[in-house]
Amino acid sequence: MSLRDKVRYRMMKDVGLPAAMGIDRLRKARRVRPRDPLFGPPLESSGALKNLMMRHYGLARYAEGAMPVAWVTSGAPVELLRAFGFYTVYPENHGAVCGARRVAPDICAEAEAAGFSQDLCSYARIDIGHALSGKTPVGKLPRPDLLFCTNNICQTILYWFKDLSHMYGIPLIVLDTPFLYGEPAAATMDYVSGQIRDMVTALERITGKPFDEARLAEVLESSRRGSELWGKVLATMRHRPAPMTIFDAFVHLAPVVSLRGLPVCERYYEGLLAELEDRVERNVAAVPGERHRLMWDNIAIWFALKPMSRFFAENGCVGVAGTYTNAWAETAHHLDLKDPWGSMARAYGLIFLNRDLEYRLDLMARIAAEYAADGLVLHSARSCKPYSVGQYDIRRKLSERLGIRTVVIEADMTDFRAYSEEQAKTRLAAFFESLEGGRDGAAAAAGGGGSGA
Amino acid sequence: MGRTEYLIAQKEMGRKVAAVWPARYPAELLWAHGICPAEVWDPPLEPERASGHLQPYVCGIVQRGLELLLSGGLRPADILLFPHTCDSLQNLATMVRDLGGEARRCLFFYPPKRDAGERAIAYLMAQLRDLSGELTLHVGPMNAGALEDAMELGSQRTEAMRRLYDLRAEGRLSAGNAAFYAAVRACEFLWPEDAVHSLHTFAKEQEGTPSDEAVPLVFSGVLPQPADFMEKLDGLGVRVVEDDFLGCGRRIVRRTIPAGEDPWRVLAERMQALPPCCTQGASVGDRTNFILELVRRSRARGVVILDVKFCEPELFDAPLIVAGLRESGVPVLILETEMEPRTPAGMLTRMEAFLETLS
Repeated sequence: MSLRDKVRYRMMKDVGLPAAMGIDRLRKARRVRPRDPLFGPPLESSGALKNLMMRHYGLARYAEGAMPVAWVTSGAPVELLRAFGFYTVYPENHGAVCGARRVAPDICAEAEAAGFSQDLCSYARIDIGHALSGKTPVGKLPRPDLLFCTNNICQTILYWFKDLSHMYGIPLIVLDTPFLYGEPAAATMDYVSGQIRDMVTALERITGKPFDEARLAEVLESSRRGSELWGKVLATMRHRPAPMTIFDAFVHLAPVVSLRGLPVCERYYEGLLAELEDRVERNVAAVPGERHRLMWDNIAIWFALKPMSRFFAENGCVGVAGTYTNAWAETAHHLDLKDPWGSMARAYGLIFLNRDLEYRLDLMARIAAEYAADGLVLHSARSCKPYSVGQYDIRRKLSERLGIRTVVIEADMTDFRAYSEEQAKTRLAAFFESLEGGRDGAAAAAGGGGSGA
Repeated sequence: MGRTEYLIAQKEMGRKVAAVWPARYPAELLWAHGICPAEVWDPPLEPERASGHLQPYVCGIVQRGLELLLSGGLRPADILLFPHTCDSLQNLATMVRDLGGEARRCLFFYPPKRDAGERAIAYLMAQLRDLSGELTLHVGPMNAGALEDAMELGSQRTEAMRRLYDLRAEGRLSAGNAAFYAAVRACEFLWPEDAVHSLHTFAKEQEGTPSDEAVPLVFSGVLPQPADFMEKLDGLGVRVVEDDFLGCGRRIVRRTIPAGEDPWRVLAERMQALPPCCTQGASVGDRTNFILELVRRSRARGVVILDVKFCEPELFDAPLIVAGLRESGVPVLILETEMEPRTPAGMLTRMEAFLETLS
């Protein structure tokens, strides 16, 4: 780390970026956007979110050389890295940004030209494409000094990060969280917590810094609070009418993924929660005239958030819950300062994507009940196998168990070459029509594999 | 005797049968419990029933394995064992147990996904004991010394397989590719004593000098697929001299693991000593070096990577392995199969073109 880079980072953090963002705010404030009559008033916190994430990616450009930089997976125990002073970048979040800005195919093509199959995870192709070409809509990502991954969300992440490790010639730390068929065995949790303890030694070696237990306690507490606040934010959608939609939640998820364990994450969600609670009190609807409440399964279709959100609203439908957004609120309560290693093992080893489909089915049934969902939209994401394989059966089972209507739409989270808007709209339109008919015939609607609403 | 008839005969001898999905699992433990494992890799079925449960972007191994199950082809099996290999097989395992109404006992096994040294060994040992406990519930406990005996059979099978691979790599096996893989892949269901006998017999019968004109190549990937591909290679004058197939050469321990007092530990160490594999998170460098070593020892003139479409663990590694091999001056061809019943003409044309570049 060089002094020059450290000073430059500090200057940008305290002066340069706030000034640039202030100018940007003034410029945008002059633009008056007409309000979309399909929706309630836009969330005021959206502006703060934009600033927060702009600042995160803006500062990332100057982190290289000023502090150790780690690229991290969304389900990794980032608290350890924060305790060692790493600047963290989340390739999955970067992938979502690329998806939302509709630049994914262009960046994926860089990876494909180097021989990576178009059938691979599109987040991974974006990341590898970026590593090969430097292409990104966020200006520049800092070169990592360390890669840190946990296979609790998928095995893909392991294949992807070891490729990055090979390409950059840098160390990769892997936390292996065995997939849980049934309840976790003591040996499994010991294996996970033991690996987390071992990481301390590896991080001390890589950073040359001694481990600071008190700092880890602070970060863990912040992480737990941030995740709990996120859970409360989501819970406001239990109110009828819902004060925001699942499509809003997908967007406002970014801080708990990328900034978990930092005070800015807590502050942001405190503000968002206050705004949503105020809306609940005043019965402000995200979609005026809300008729049907839906649950979403799988990652967002980032490039289609807006049109999908409008199409839902046009049909009086509001997405009020999702398995994906719930994941960052699901297990944080396990974090316990008295038992940091065991509690991190539980918080990260027990997430629903690391558990069997019976567990997932029960979780989805519980969420559907808590949020009074009367329909389920399953996004079958072509490049996300762990989330998607089994969805056809989950759909049938949930339909039978809850008597709700369901639909599967085939797409991808970022690569719109694997998406037919017309086909998705046709399926959703039929599904929305069936909702108007009530719950009768839900079992019939569930018949067949991926076809038929 | 065909595979199904063989398994029925095993049952008549008082043994149980376990259908085992890919890829790495402790066969010795099953033998010790009197269970004959029958592996489910690439049954020759078109996925019809399975397509109602799986999206079209799921690989052929998962599709066909489920098809075999749904079509009743696994009726002789008493137990289903799903080692953890990839996301798709992981979900298939829980689909079958939790959502598919499968009445038979479904068991799982998790090979650690990185070499965490002693922690991985300890975790493997704990799992081996757990798996043995589960098998005991179904078929009763092991007899005294059964695990040690099974470990000895495992050593003999590995030794017989290694000898066959050595003969081939050293140019002392006259067998063609199709015959070689038929012999090797029979071990996917043969009881170990039968497997050892069959491998020895094959080596004895086939020991000899192969054609000088055949082009020696190393293969990597998942399996020798499509089914007739090895016959086609025989016709093209290709001699596969080594392989890093997930289902074949990558499951042979290439070095001797010293015996120890604790059979559970030795079994765990044997599993961890298998060649580097993408499904267990092996680094690209280790995999490339392993393939380079196969090329050196067999004096192959090139490498063919034969991937199965949608197989993420292999497809992520392939471009970087190709780059590494080319940097070392080794010509490489990548082919992708959808496990078609017959080798597509395009695949053969690409193979022929590759051979021309080597001549």
